[in-house]
Amino acid sequence: MIFITGPLFSGKKSYIKKALGLSDEELRVWAVWDVQEMAGKEDAAHLAESLCQVPIVIATEVGGGVVPTDPHVRRAREEAGRLSCLLAEKADTVVRVCCGLPQLLKGEWPCKEKRPDFPDERRTRC
Amino acid sequence: MLTLVTGGAGSGKSAFAENLVTGQGSPRFYIATMEPYGPESRARIVRHRSLREGKGFITIEKSLSLADIDLPPEAHVLLEDLSNLLANEMFSPGGGGAAAAEEGVLSLCGRCKDLTVVTNEVFSGGADYEGETDRFLRHLALMNRLIAQRADLVVEVVCGLTNILYSRTNLIADCSFTPRYMQLH
Repeated sequence: MIFITGPLFSGKKSYIKKALGLSDEELRVWAVWDVQEMAGKEDAAHLAESLCQVPIVIATEVGGGVVPTDPHVRRAREEAGRLSCLLAEKADTVVRVCCGLPQLLKGEWPCKEKRPDFPDERRTRC
Repeated sequence: MLTLVTGGAGSGKSAFAENLVTGQGSPRFYIATMEPYGPESRARIVRHRSLREGKGFITIEKSLSLADIDLPPEAHVLLEDLSNLLANEMFSPGGGGAAAAEEGVLSLCGRCKDLTVVTNEVFSGGADYEGETDRFLRHLALMNRLIAQRADLVVEVVCGLTNILYSRTNLIADCSFTPRYMQLH
């Protein structure tokens, strides 16, 4: 699994589309994004495990900035952060994208030649 | 060796810092600055305690006046964290203001073998703050910069992985620190 993270609107999807040569349509099949919004709704370990089945997982970093006064928002940020830690631990490759620039945090640079496996059940869906 | 560790909420910065200090040797001291007021703070303290359980830290609970702490010169110290310390010194009764927070951290630098300071990435969520928040952020930013300037290693932790912002050139040779792919769990 390739895990892509970075701040809001930093170019995470554009980066991975370019790196792997994916169309918008292919990205929809290969990737899941905004996974930070899924954090806290179910057990983090279980969620990370099921997200791992997707070749590309994309999360927006939401833990920066002044700590919010609302306890729910505060907890959501932390849960999103912990989910990202679990995903990064399981991922073969982690890339962080800032201002459209990728930074390799783990593994090897994603490239067209080394595209991740396309899961069969997803192929039939598209 | 002086290390500054930064990162956002839930980034894994505490676990990284604990593992780094654990690798530095013994004796290990954990300076806990959080005041145990309210259920959320208490839950956080419990979580951090369980995180560092079995890692051999001697915990010193000190929310103010770090200059008063006695430490052996061979101590490896983890200070968690800078933003709590600064908030305590600035806003708690008995606090000595931002100057006391700065003095406390600088005094630790000269009195132990290794000091690792955990701070918080709180500067990218907006730029329009007023009053106390603005004052606090400015002081925290100054302290981050002051420590980073003196540090041998400055690390931003992103989803449990390290983004090295600065590393003294010969650092990797003289400590057990492994950059980038450090396993945390």
